[in-house]
Amino acid sequence: MKLSTVVTGKIILPVIGASFLLFPSVPAEAAAQRLEKHFSVKGRPVVVIHNIGNGRIEVKSWKNAEVVVAGTKASDKIAVDTEQAGDRIDVTSSVVDGTAKPSEMEANFQLTVPEETELQLTTQTGLIYVEQVTGDMTLESVAGDVHLKEVSGYIIVSTTGGSLVCTQCAGKLEFNSISGNAQVLQPALDNVKLRTMTGNILFDGDFVHTGLYSMRSGKGLVEVRFSGNDSFDLNAQTATGTVDNEASEYLKPDSHGMKHMASKFSKSLFGTVGTGFAKVELSTYSGTIRILKRD
Amino acid sequence: MQCSELELVFEQEGLAPLSAEARQHLSQCSACKHFVEDVTTIVALAHELPADVEPPEHVWVSIREQLVLEGTVREFSEGKEAASWWQSFAELFRNRALATATLAAVLGVAGLSLYRTPPETTSEIQNDPYSSTVSMLSAQEHDLTNMQLASTASTSAVDASLRENLQQVDDFIADCERHVKEEPSDELTREYLTNAYQQKAALLSAMMDRGGSLN
Repeated sequence: MKLSTVVTGKIILPVIGASFLLFPSVPAEAAAQRLEKHFSVKGRPVVVIHNIGNGRIEVKSWKNAEVVVAGTKASDKIAVDTEQAGDRIDVTSSVVDGTAKPSEMEANFQLTVPEETELQLTTQTGLIYVEQVTGDMTLESVAGDVHLKEVSGYIIVSTTGGSLVCTQCAGKLEFNSISGNAQVLQPALDNVKLRTMTGNILFDGDFVHTGLYSMRSGKGLVEVRFSGNDSFDLNAQTATGTVDNEASEYLKPDSHGMKHMASKFSKSLFGTVGTGFAKVELSTYSGTIRILKRD
Repeated sequence: MQCSELELVFEQEGLAPLSAEARQHLSQCSACKHFVEDVTTIVALAHELPADVEPPEHVWVSIREQLVLEGTVREFSEGKEAASWWQSFAELFRNRALATATLAAVLGVAGLSLYRTPPETTSEIQNDPYSSTVSMLSAQEHDLTNMQLASTASTSAVDASLRENLQQVDDFIADCERHVKEEPSDELTREYLTNAYQQKAALLSAMMDRGGSLN
């Protein structure tokens, strides 16, 4: 598709007919103010929340073709605007008074969306929680954690210090953080890319056949717990850390005949579990890499 | 006129009115026609981007030095056309977000080229391949410090978290740098160091943007 067509179709047209609503205002000194908006949608909606303040974002699904945005804001020093253009719903918070203290800039959101919904959520602190949603999602936080349960799609999570807990997730997952930890539990993911500089990584679950799994931590622990039925090729390398292989009886020399050249500067472990259908790459700079078989 | 010739004309003259020969080629070649249409759209959209925030001059200087160092472009004093092209490029990307992305791309290319360079030739080419990156980041950090000194906004948990993470990145970079000095051919450590520089650039940019938006 031509770029010009994309620009015309995806950017300009949805703007036409957009509605712009402002939540009512009350004196700044008032207690937390509650807000709620309902948006009817036709297809798979795209919900965008950009929270410049602090606060929690919680997303759950239902079977109705409607998006409900409910929430609270701490004061009138922060404004919350919503906009609907077709099936795209934007929720934006902004600071209206530069003297606002951090506690006055808090906005919390609870979303109820159709099961098939795309999400783009940004907040500063506070938990991002998403449950039972199918669709691509980009979730960003500075210091807040991200908890995902039974979600599927192409999931991209970026934090500075926040940690990720992904339980029963499916599809493709990317996580990038400086000090955040990542826990992936009981997944059905076929493409995983986890990066953290000082945080820990735990992958506890099955490796899908033909799946690609790459997990890297600079200083943290990278731990993989696999099952006896798993089938994957393993490549584990650390520059100055250690490789703790607690599954040596399951790990055999590479059955595909691929010759691995271990660097003389790093500690490496190559091998195959089962017939090596999936590909697993683990790496640290100074952290420990641990490979375990689940009981 | 051939497609490659049109590409050359386009590269040297940009969106200036095209010659009759070029226009004739465009009328017959759908691929080139679509290419020109797409670039025109991109430039039009780029001009709509906010231009109120200018990246510091040293960012452009450092990017230029890096590109020259890599041999991607020649020294700009060699030709007037190149300088003109560069100025157009800089005008197009006078936005902090785009500048940061460009910086990250340059760091990525630098890291990749180092990664692909045979270890025995690395030290012969560059004694300290990261020097320009380090000076670029130091200048950016200096700007951030000045911005924070001028700020009257109260410190939040987010600011504290960003500073704490910056400290962690600095510690990690220092650790990797020490190791790279001891073992210059350790590719895995160099890879981690390159990624750490990228993380630091992104973090500093986020901190500056935050400072700018809240003050």
